Amino acid sequence: MDKINNFGVIARILLGTIFVVSGAEKLLSPYQNFLYVIQNYQLIGPPLDEWVARIFPWIEFLLGLFCLLGLWLTRSLEGILVIVTVFIGVVGQALIRGLPIDECGCFGSLVSLPLQGVIIVDSCLWLLTSWLLFPGAKASRFSLDEYFSKNS
Amino acid sequence: MSKKIQPKRNSKKIFTVILILAVVAVILGVQWYLQSSRSLSQGVSSRAKGTPGAAIHIVEYIDFECPACATGAKKLKEYVAMYPEKIYLEMRYYPLLNIHPHALHAARYAQCAAQQGKFWPLHDLLIERQGQWQSLINADPVFMQMAQEVSLDMNSLEVCLQDEKTVKLILEERDKGSSLGVQSTPTYFINEKMVVGVKSLTDMLQPLLENGQNK
Repeated sequence: MDKINNFGVIARILLGTIFVVSGAEKLLSPYQNFLYVIQNYQLIGPPLDEWVARIFPWIEFLLGLFCLLGLWLTRSLEGILVIVTVFIGVVGQALIRGLPIDECGCFGSLVSLPLQGVIIVDSCLWLLTSWLLFPGAKASRFSLDEYFSKNS
Repeated sequence: MSKKIQPKRNSKKIFTVILILAVVAVILGVQWYLQSSRSLSQGVSSRAKGTPGAAIHIVEYIDFECPACATGAKKLKEYVAMYPEKIYLEMRYYPLLNIHPHALHAARYAQCAAQQGKFWPLHDLLIERQGQWQSLINADPVFMQMAQEVSLDMNSLEVCLQDEKTVKLILEERDKGSSLGVQSTPTYFINEKMVVGVKSLTDMLQPLLENGQNK
C-alpha cells in the first residue's frame, strides 16, 4: 500500500523535474532559439510569437517547480495539464499539415525527438498528470501543501 | 474557524511570493551572467565578403546540409549583391553532426577551399546543389567534382582533407557557436543581435537595409 502511495509522490517529483529542467534550459539559452521553434509550427505570428517565446518558459519552469515541491499542487497540476494538452494539439496539427519539422524543440537542446515520439511522450505525461489530480494518487504526500496544512 | 485558517493561508501565500521572487532573481542573475560572457570573436577574413566596417555586420552559423541554411545563404547572397557597401558577411561552421551525416565533410571541403582563397565559389556550389548530394551515401565524388569546377589545387585539397587540424578548426568553431547560445541552424548575429531562422533574418535585415540604419 505504501509503495502505491509513494508512486504518486515519485511521479509528481518526476513530472515537476521534467518541467523545471525543460523550462530552465529555455530560460538560460537565448530566447531566439525557442522563438524559432514556435515559428516552425506556423500557428502564431509576430508579435505574439515573441511574447510566447519570452513568457512561456517562465510558466513552464514555475509550474514544474510548484509541482516538484507540492505547492498549490492541484492548481499547478491543472496548469501542467493545460500545457500538455496544448502541446499535443500543436504537435498534432504539425503532423497533420506535414510541416517539415525534424525535431520538436520542446526540451530545448537537451533531448531531440521527432514529432511522432513527442506525441507519445506528451500523451503519457497527460495521463500521468490526470492521474495525479485524483485524490487516490496521494501526490500531496511529502509536499509543501501538506507541511503548511499541518504546521499552521 | 475562519480566524485559524486565515493565518495558515497567509503564510503559504507569503512563502509562495518569496519563492517566486527568489527564483526569478536567481534566473535573471544567471541570464545576465551568461549574456555578459557571450561575445563574438574576430572572424576569419577568408570566409567573409562585403565591405569591412559596413553598417550591417552579419555573422552566420550554418550547416551545409540544412535546407533552411541553403535558403538563408541564397537570400544573403542576393542582399550582399544588392547592397555590397552596406553589408559585411562572415560565415562560420555549425555542422549538426547528429542529424546531417555529410555536414562535417562538406565543411571540410569548404575550409580547404578557404585555404586556397576560393571559399565563396565552393560555398555557393555546395548550397546550390545541396539537393543533389544530401541524400547520397557517399557524397565525396560530388564534392570532388565541385572542387574541380572551382579550380581548386587537387593535391593541396587532398592534403588539407586528411589534415586533422581542418576538422579541429570546424569543431572548435561549432563549440564557440554553442557557447554563444547557438542551438540550431541557420543562426545569425546581425550587429551582434542574435536571430534564428530565415524568417527572423529577413524580418530584421529588410528594415535595416531599406532605412540605411547604422550600427
